[in-house]
Amino acid sequence: MRIEHTFPYGPAVALAALPRRDERSREHLDNAARHARPVVLAGERVLTVPGPLGARLPGGGVRRGTVVAVDGDPGAGATGIAFELAAAATAAGEWAAAVELGAGLGGLAAAEAGVELDRFPVVRRVPPARWAAVVAALLEGISLVLAEVPGYARTADARRLTARTRERGAVLVAVGPWPAAAALRLRAAGSEWRGLGVGEGVLAHGDRRVHVDGRGVAPRERFAALARAG
Amino acid sequence: MRRAVPVRTACLWCPDWPVVALRARNPALHDAPVAVVERAERGLVVVAASTEAATEGVTLGLRRREAEARCPGLAVVEADPQVEARAFERVARAIEAFTPRFVLEEPGRVTFPTRGPSRYFGGDTAMAVHCLDAVRAVAVTDARVGVADGGFAATLAARGAEPGAAYVVPPGESPGFLAPWPVAVLDDPEHSDGALGDLLVRLGLRTLGAFAALPEGAVLGRFGPAGARAHRLARGMDEPTAPPAPPPPELVETAELDPPAIHVETAAFAAKGLAERLMARLGGFGLTCSRVTIEAETERGERLTRCWRHEGALTPAALAARVRWQLEGWLTGDDIADDDTSGDELATSGLMLLRLVPDEVLPAAGRQLGFWGGDAAAADRAGRVLARVQGMLGHPAVVTAVPQGGRTPRERVRWVPWGDPRDPARPAGAVAAPGANVREVPPWPGAIPAPAPARVFDPAPAAELLDAAGAAVTVSGRGDPSAPPARVRCAALPGSEGEVAAWAGPWAHDARWWDRRARARRAYWQVLVAGPDGGRVACLVAVTAGRAGLEAIYD
Repeated sequence: MRIEHTFPYGPAVALAALPRRDERSREHLDNAARHARPVVLAGERVLTVPGPLGARLPGGGVRRGTVVAVDGDPGAGATGIAFELAAAATAAGEWAAAVELGAGLGGLAAAEAGVELDRFPVVRRVPPARWAAVVAALLEGISLVLAEVPGYARTADARRLTARTRERGAVLVAVGPWPAAAALRLRAAGSEWRGLGVGEGVLAHGDRRVHVDGRGVAPRERFAALARAG
Repeated sequence: MRRAVPVRTACLWCPDWPVVALRARNPALHDAPVAVVERAERGLVVVAASTEAATEGVTLGLRRREAEARCPGLAVVEADPQVEARAFERVARAIEAFTPRFVLEEPGRVTFPTRGPSRYFGGDTAMAVHCLDAVRAVAVTDARVGVADGGFAATLAARGAEPGAAYVVPPGESPGFLAPWPVAVLDDPEHSDGALGDLLVRLGLRTLGAFAALPEGAVLGRFGPAGARAHRLARGMDEPTAPPAPPPPELVETAELDPPAIHVETAAFAAKGLAERLMARLGGFGLTCSRVTIEAETERGERLTRCWRHEGALTPAALAARVRWQLEGWLTGDDIADDDTSGDELATSGLMLLRLVPDEVLPAAGRQLGFWGGDAAAADRAGRVLARVQGMLGHPAVVTAVPQGGRTPRERVRWVPWGDPRDPARPAGAVAAPGANVREVPPWPGAIPAPAPARVFDPAPAAELLDAAGAAVTVSGRGDPSAPPARVRCAALPGSEGEVAAWAGPWAHDARWWDRRARARRAYWQVLVAGPDGGRVACLVAVTAGRAGLEAIYD
C-alpha cells in the first residue's frame, strides 16, 4: 500500500505519520524543518549529542555559541569525550576541526567514535604565537572546533575566543587547561577497561566516568558513569 | 599537403626528478641509493633511480623486487607526483624569468620555443647557458638543455647532453641528429601507444634513420596514423602541437588603481569587482577556473604574483576572498611574514595595477548540491577557512585522516594534506591481485585489535617495561616474552610510572623481514597501568631491539 500524506498541521504531524523504521529520514526531515523555521528559540540552538554522554548534558547536547572545557589526566578519557562531541557535529552534516599540539590524535579512534573523517580536518604543528589566531580562523567557518589548549594560553586569548565562538554560533571544545569561564566543564575521571586479563584477552571499553559541571546541570547529575559500546 | 616547419625548441631536462624532489624533502637520502617506484600493470616498477642505484644495475622499468635484489640496501619510495610537481615549481619560476611561454611536459621536463629568448641572448648556445645558470641558481645541480628543431628532437638532445651542459643541434640538422637513435625512443607514451618500437626492432629497423628511410605511404598503410606520426617524428618533422602561449588575453582581467591603493580595503574593493567580472566573463564562455594567478604592480615598478588553487571550481566570493588575503599579505605583511612556504616579497609602495589571470580553465560542469545531510554551503565555508589556515602555516599543516591497511594504530592512518586526494597508501580492504580475477584481502597478521587508541605518539616517547625483578622485558625471536611485565615507567604517563594491572600480548611483528636495512622486529603490549589516584590507564607499549616506547594511550 502506498501512503501519501499532506501536511496540514506542520512538520510535527508529518513526522508522526512517517513509518517508524525511517529513523534516518525522519531525523533529516526534522533537521530540515528546523532550518526552515523562521524563528529559532534559544533552547533549539543546541548541538544534540547522541548516546549516554548526551543524556547527561543539559538540553541533551551542547549549546551553540558556547565553550565546552574538557579536562583530564592522560588516559582518563578526555580525548574520547572530545571525539564524541566532534562526532555529534559531523553526524549532523556539519564540519568539525581539531587543533593538535604534542601527542597526535588517533584518526582511527575518531572514526570509531563516529567522526566522519573527511569532514574532520586536523591542524598540526601550530607555533605558539599563532595558536589563538588559528583557532579564531577555524571558528569563522567550522561548526565545532576541538582545540587542545596549551599551557601558554593566556586568559585574554581565551576570552577573545569565547567571544568569537558566541558571535559565530560555533562550539569550541577546549581540551586541556582552559584559562577562562566555560558554559560547560567536563572532567574525565578515568575509564573502566574490560577484557584484559593477566596475559590474556584484549582490551575492550568499559564505563567511563565523567564529572559534568555548568549551568543547567542538576547537582545530583554532576557525576556520571557512561556505558560505552565495544 | 601542408608541410609544417618544426618550431625551434629548447628542452630543459632534470634527470630523475622524482629522486631530486625526494632528496630535497628528505636530506637523509643524499648519497644513498634511491629508487622511486610507481604502480603499473605488473606491480611496482622503478620510474626513477639515483646514480648510486644505477651503477648497481637498477634500470628504469625494473620490477621492485628485482631492483632490490640487484642493489641491496636500496631505499624504495613510492612516487608522489604532487610533491614532485610542487618541487618543480621553483625550476619553472626560474625559466619563467626569461620566457613566459613554456610547457611543463612533466615534473622534471620543460620545453619552450627558443625564438624570442635566443634572439635576446644572442644565439641558442648563449640562451642555453643562461638557462642552465638560472636553474643552477635555484639549487638544481643536474639539469641539461637540448636545443633542436621540434620538441621531440629537443628532448633527445637534452638526453644526449652532458650533465649540467647543453647540446645544441644546428638548425636543419635535426634529421641527421635523430638518425642514430634506437627506435625504442619512439615508445615514449606521449608519442605512440607502446608496442611500435618493439615491432620495428623485430622487423630489422633498429634506428630512427632506418625507419625514416621508409616511404611515408607504406608506413601509413602498415602502421596506421600512429605509425605515420612516429615516422614524421623520426624524420624530424615534429608537428607543432598547440603553441605554448599564455591564456587568451581576453580572459585576463586588469584594474588600474588611480590613486594607488595603500590600504587593503581599497585594493580589496577593486579586487572584488575584478573577481566578479572575471567569473562572469568565464561563465559567458561556459567555463570556470580552478587556478588563478593574482598579479599586482606597485608604484615603484615591483611586480608581485601568486598563484592560488582551489580543489573545486572557484566561485566569485571564494576568488575575491583569496585576492583579499593575498593583498593583506602584500600590503601589511604581518600575516605572512614568517610563512615558510612563500618566501614572500612585500610591497614597498601602493599598488597601481591588479590583474587576475585564470590559469587552469575548465568547462563549468555545474555543482551538485547535496540533498540530505551534506550541506554544500558549510563545505564551502569550511574549505575557505582551511585554505586560510594553510596560508598561515603552510600546506602540510592541515591534514585529514584516511584509514588504510596496517598493523599498528600509527600505520593504519594516513594523514593527507588538505586539498590532496584522499587515497590510502596501503589498501585497507579487498584489492585485485595482479593477474588474478579474484579480489583478495591483504593479510595483516598480528594487527592490534580494536578499539583504537585516541592518542598516538609520533615519535614514541621512551618508556621502560620491567618485570617483577626490575629487569627489562624482552621478546625472543619466536615471540616469547622473557617474563610477564610488572611495571611501566614513562614520563608521558600520569605519575610517570605504575604497576601493570593487566596485560595482553606481545604481538610480535617482523616488519619488512625481506629488507636488510628497513627490517625491524617489534613487539607490542597492551598494558593497563595503575595510576597514582587509583585509576587505570590503558596504553600500548612497543619494544624494539630492547628499547621500549609508549606508542599510544587509550584516552
